[in-house]
Amino acid sequence: MKIKTALSTKETVEEMASDIAGQLEFFDAEMVLFFASTKYEPEKVSKKMQDTFPMSRVFGCTTAGEIGCGKMLDGSAVAMAFTGEAIKDAKIEVVEDPRDETAIRAAFASFESYFKVPMAEMDPSKYVGIILVDGLSGAEEGLMETIGDMTNVTFIGGSAGDDLKFTTTHLFANGKTYSKGVILALLQPGVDFTFIKTQSFQSLDKTLEVTKADEEKREVIEFNGKPAAVAYAEAVGTTVEEAPKFFMHNPIGLVIEDEPYVRSPQQFKGNDMVFYCGVMEGMELSLLESTDIIGDTKQAIDQARQELGGLSALINFNCILRTLELKQKDLTRQYGELFSGIQTIGFSTYGEQYIGHINQTATMLAFK
Amino acid sequence: MAGKIRQMIDSIINQRAKDNPMLERVIKTKLILKGINPAKFNAQSDDDPVVIGKLEKMMRELK
Repeated sequence: MKIKTALSTKETVEEMASDIAGQLEFFDAEMVLFFASTKYEPEKVSKKMQDTFPMSRVFGCTTAGEIGCGKMLDGSAVAMAFTGEAIKDAKIEVVEDPRDETAIRAAFASFESYFKVPMAEMDPSKYVGIILVDGLSGAEEGLMETIGDMTNVTFIGGSAGDDLKFTTTHLFANGKTYSKGVILALLQPGVDFTFIKTQSFQSLDKTLEVTKADEEKREVIEFNGKPAAVAYAEAVGTTVEEAPKFFMHNPIGLVIEDEPYVRSPQQFKGNDMVFYCGVMEGMELSLLESTDIIGDTKQAIDQARQELGGLSALINFNCILRTLELKQKDLTRQYGELFSGIQTIGFSTYGEQYIGHINQTATMLAFK
Repeated sequence: MAGKIRQMIDSIINQRAKDNPMLERVIKTKLILKGINPAKFNAQSDDDPVVIGKLEKMMRELK
């Protein structure tokens, strides 16, 4: 086995780290990725996990729920350990201000220096990036744009959570805890890998073109030349007062080659509409309708398995809104079971990253 | 002036995708997420300075 997972529901940081270490005993871990509930004191977690795996590169973040060992959980910690065969090499960089383009460039310069390949020329079939970012930063779009401009290597990941408290998220790397920023980990896997991006929505035949927006604030002022709230309510066929009830099941999305890149509405602010990710003037968005998360996710996993000729491990960055919908429909057990038989860890995120920043999606890194 | 945006988009896709269809799709997606839909620009499209600025930034990264 080249990749192995562990899960702990113990109460304290010390007990949790010891529990996970026990499950990974005799496993020669070059790298350990972990996701932990904020019930474990974030200030202590990073150092404890690094001390527990002193010979490994250790990184992770806080969550709004965890996924591991065929279960969806709250108040736990999950870890994935990789041997040197699974991950031949890795370099982890932390940028404490995700809006600081100069610092992102410095992180990329460090990757280039370490791997001795310019990022612009790095082969995306041989390298992959993991991104874990402060889920309350609101900086993900710019960050993903900057990264995407600099390299063809795919960075996939999630925005850290804080168990729906919306106060502070935490990132963990190399024994230190960060309450802001972004972790960029560039990996050179020794096994084949691919990506899953799955969202359970179908596009309805209703277009909302952003005619006026405050892009920095993720706010749409007008769709189709009308106040945003009015245009959205009309599209879903209800009143402005009732429309927020439709946000979860009827978000909107940028549909590219039949693939939605979901933009989830957060709230109305007067007649403006605030989103969980960026919307730009001129974008033509489609009204979406939710479908079957369980069926769609199963299909996406099966497709990845087929593409790779087998599937040994998955890292799942699953939107908190998907988790809330699964909880509402009492489907968390079925969702967890989709990953039985595959070494899987994941967490409920405040945003997902794959090519760009998206919502109501699960982005997954899959290993053969 | 017209058509500069189409030229820049083609140049970015050619240089970055290097005839790899999968990369070509990814780069087009990145452009659309930036608010630049390649399908909307042709040789007659106006030279919008805001769009040109975004594309110039992308081109600088190639050097």
